[in-house]
Amino acid sequence: MHTVWVRLNAVVFFGLTVLLCLSILAALSKIGHTRYHQPKIHKLALNQLRSIKNHGGVDRALLSFDLHADMTPAFHWNIKQIFVYVVASYKTDTNPNNKIVLWDRIIEATDPPSAKIIKEENVFVKYGLMDQGAELRGREVQLQLMWDHMPLTGTLYMGEQAKDTTSTFTLPHDYL
Amino acid sequence: MIKDMIDKQVIELKKLWANKRMLTFQLLNLAMIVFSALMIWKGLMFVTKVSVLLYWRFSRRIDCLFDDEMGWVDHNGRMSWRKYMLRCMLPLEDRLVSESPVVVVLSGSMEPAFQRGDILFLNNSVEKVDVGDVVVFKIKDRDIPIVHRILKVHQKPDGHVELLTKGDNNRVDDRGLYAPGQLWLEREDILGKAVGTLRYVGMVTIALNDYPVLKYVLVGMMGLFVLTSKEG
Repeated sequence: MHTVWVRLNAVVFFGLTVLLCLSILAALSKIGHTRYHQPKIHKLALNQLRSIKNHGGVDRALLSFDLHADMTPAFHWNIKQIFVYVVASYKTDTNPNNKIVLWDRIIEATDPPSAKIIKEENVFVKYGLMDQGAELRGREVQLQLMWDHMPLTGTLYMGEQAKDTTSTFTLPHDYL
Repeated sequence: MIKDMIDKQVIELKKLWANKRMLTFQLLNLAMIVFSALMIWKGLMFVTKVSVLLYWRFSRRIDCLFDDEMGWVDHNGRMSWRKYMLRCMLPLEDRLVSESPVVVVLSGSMEPAFQRGDILFLNNSVEKVDVGDVVVFKIKDRDIPIVHRILKVHQKPDGHVELLTKGDNNRVDDRGLYAPGQLWLEREDILGKAVGTLRYVGMVTIALNDYPVLKYVLVGMMGLFVLTSKEG
């Protein structure tokens, strides 16, 4: 039965198959990209500790930091956006491992090239450094830059600043 | 033109009804399509299982991933190929596979990364979820799973974690979405970590959900076409 519908059906399904194949090829095309193109993180360090206080039994520190990083190499044609975030990690007696996002930013592929280079001083945190309890005083906190590659189609994968280039600071022993 | 088509279909159906041999043939044809779809579905589930087990076999972390009462692994935490083959034939514990390996994004809370109608592929075989991971979680007594990013991780000495999530496009974290009084998510609440995305495919599901009649119309039309179409 060579009706319009049979032909339409064939065209639609062939079209969908082609789209799917192209998506898979696009997803595969990023293989090896991270090996040769790594963002350059020049600086991520504490600028100023603004306060460390106890709010209803929970310790919270507010701070600002300097961030110089060139995220341009992380982009390729199948990247829709890069989600950049600063992670503070520290140890307490109740929790041997705490990781908290202090700041994040979405850099879209369509943003101008200048937006892909972060060069900012004295950035105030978006989310306070808040502990689960009241054990923040005197702790050593490590700041590390991480980023998530979010593709148009394909796999999500993470990147992070090399451990040996991260910076640490120690919170004061008294509330401030 | 549409009336013409319907008339044609009716004529074809009448012809079929008269010719029982033909009718049986076409019904078998229909059954074959349904069963091959089922086979593909089940096959995919099997492949997932085999690959999950294979991943564990090589990562040598099997010991901590399922209760090893049956002695699948030796004292080094390794599994022999023979045992691996056997293990593949047995059902996998629920908590080791995602409830569904694919979810459709229903809200704009992760825009611009994920939009309504995108589908996400999940992996729940990862033992640990970390800060920054996009995860799908479910709140107790609520049906719809949520796709958001992990903002905080607090790990207890026994390895147990407490998590806080937030949507990239939301102003505040997810405490308001959790059950009343719930402050943290736990590993058990998480259905899987998003590992891949494919755009627009979920639109079909959303359309089918919004207009349930569409389901019957679609299935009915497909059945009719299979029944009345002739080879060649």
